Amino acid sequence: MNLLALPILIPLFSGAVLLLLPSRIWRFVLACLAALLCLGVSLSILNTVLSGKVMVLQMSNWPAPWGISLVADGLTGIMLALSALVGLLTVIFAGSSLQHEPRRGQSKLVNELRERFGFQALLQFLLMGVNMSFLTGDLFNLFVAFEVMLISSYGLLLIGNELPQLREGFKYVVVNLIASAIFVVAAGMIYGLIGTLNMADIAVKVAQHTASYGPDARLSLLAMMLALVFATKAAVFPLGFWLPSSYPVPAAAASAFFAALLTKVGVYSLIRTFTLMFPEEDLIKTLLLVLAALSMVVGALGMISQSRWRHTLAFANISSIGYLLMGVFTRQNMGLSAALYYLIHTVLVIFTLFLIAALAEKIAGLKYTSEGHLNTYPWLAASYFIAALALAGLPPTTGFIAKYALISASLKVGGLLNNWVAAAAVVTGLLLLYASVEIWRGFFWGESHAVHQVSLPAGMKGTMAASLGLLVLLAIASGPLYRLANFAADQLSRNTAYIAAVLVETQAPRLGDPPLPTDHGVEEETH
Amino acid sequence: MELLLPLLAALLVGAGVFMVLSRALIRVILGLSLISYGINIAILLAGAGTGLAAPPLLDVEGPYVDPLPQALILTAIVIGFGTTALLLVLSLRAYQATGTDHVQEMTEKPDPVEVLGSYADPERPSISPEFGPEEKLSDTKEPS
Repeated sequence: MNLLALPILIPLFSGAVLLLLPSRIWRFVLACLAALLCLGVSLSILNTVLSGKVMVLQMSNWPAPWGISLVADGLTGIMLALSALVGLLTVIFAGSSLQHEPRRGQSKLVNELRERFGFQALLQFLLMGVNMSFLTGDLFNLFVAFEVMLISSYGLLLIGNELPQLREGFKYVVVNLIASAIFVVAAGMIYGLIGTLNMADIAVKVAQHTASYGPDARLSLLAMMLALVFATKAAVFPLGFWLPSSYPVPAAAASAFFAALLTKVGVYSLIRTFTLMFPEEDLIKTLLLVLAALSMVVGALGMISQSRWRHTLAFANISSIGYLLMGVFTRQNMGLSAALYYLIHTVLVIFTLFLIAALAEKIAGLKYTSEGHLNTYPWLAASYFIAALALAGLPPTTGFIAKYALISASLKVGGLLNNWVAAAAVVTGLLLLYASVEIWRGFFWGESHAVHQVSLPAGMKGTMAASLGLLVLLAIASGPLYRLANFAADQLSRNTAYIAAVLVETQAPRLGDPPLPTDHGVEEETH
Repeated sequence: MELLLPLLAALLVGAGVFMVLSRALIRVILGLSLISYGINIAILLAGAGTGLAAPPLLDVEGPYVDPLPQALILTAIVIGFGTTALLLVLSLRAYQATGTDHVQEMTEKPDPVEVLGSYADPERPSISPEFGPEEKLSDTKEPS
């Protein structure tokens, strides 16, 4: 049985039903069930792809280049499992954080309204969009998936109607609309030039064209447009200006999910674009590598400049995107396995840190300058300590392993640029450590002024502990995880399995006679 | 036609970008609409630049025009419609909350939730009697 459509269908239906359910408890139960089911399906897909098989589902049984294909290889399996895991934790966290007292300085009504007006439903639709972007093998379908994801994220960002939400939400929507406009025109022009929207088919035709006519500036232009769009979504340095101000404004659960996964969808699309569709565009890859180094440094410096929990962590997110892309765009796919390992690590670290921030905001408001919470909340301090070590990349944590692998891959490739990028990665590690210590000094260290302890809901504490536990587990299970990353990276750098799995049915005789765009291809264009 | 449509697309996108760069919310929204119109024309051109082929209908003789770009445009129009509606409501809400539709003035205004503990939205519905706005007001003012 082919499960590939389920990670899209489960959140779609549960989201629709969630809009109708009148009671908060039932909404929570259904959302949890859907997230659990999604996790089960995702793990089963991951299990299947680990055997080396690329799973394909042709929607409505239309053969590959004409219909929409859903494809799952190693990378997709990892991303699906991560999104389902983070999704489940977010659902539980939101169920707890939205029914209790809001953070200090916030009106009581806001969270009540957020819950009542479909927070959980929007979260499910967001999950649907995220899963669909990971699964789809069709460029225009990827655009649609992005839109599903973005429209749900607009909803989650705006729900609650506070002034900062309105202000930052407007910018967020406008930036994303412009990026989507570039995406859709790029997809249209790829169809016009290459004659197909199926990613595997694009890969085949681009490779054929490059083999017979050499590099083509038009293809580079299209790759550049896609890179621009995905880099905007991934918040790479000069294009990520929208992130630090917009991610801190929604409900804490939404912030955590956004930071952990939404930017990673952009990174995922960049990986697909430059390993599958346009693997030969070395100039753009080099450009993105430089931008990755800049993102690392600027993100870390931004962290130091902030004094509010979630603003600081939003910059940490930009920095982590820099590390990810550094691995992705190191020459000859050398850093790819390190990047995938770092990806698993960073999703959980950023998520855990945002949950810790949510708890800290409940204790003392948005800023972390209120000293002396070490004695009152020792468990929170301990959790932050572990997560901060992982963020900065110090030895017992996964952060160290991931960054060591990234930097050594970069040095192994060598050359002036790669050495500079490796140097930037090391310096950024120190800056991240400084920024983490700064939070520690501001929030946990010092004399305690707290008159009474704020009671924190068990659900929030439990979710944070679970997420932290996963982070620790990641460090323990480093060996198998690194093999998993290696396997997925290997599959990505030799994309033949992916292409063969998607296009296999084209050779077979077809029933019916779908309209063929075959002689509209690259060959004809160049004559 | 060969030259006219690309020029029209460029004109629309150019005008749209110019308007998006202005500081009034409503102009930004109109600019975004213009950009999406320009882009739809560009996609149409990418798929069917010649403009001579017949529509893909059963009772019309070929050669047919490729219908896929039109399907792409249709999807883009539907999505654009939804997001424009959202943006309009959003800018209206922002205007009601801040009294201005100028981006700069909006940023300079302090956040009333942080300063006063009251709501950004004057028309916020009170959904349950115990959490109504009145109760919130009595929270901030000391009862005398």
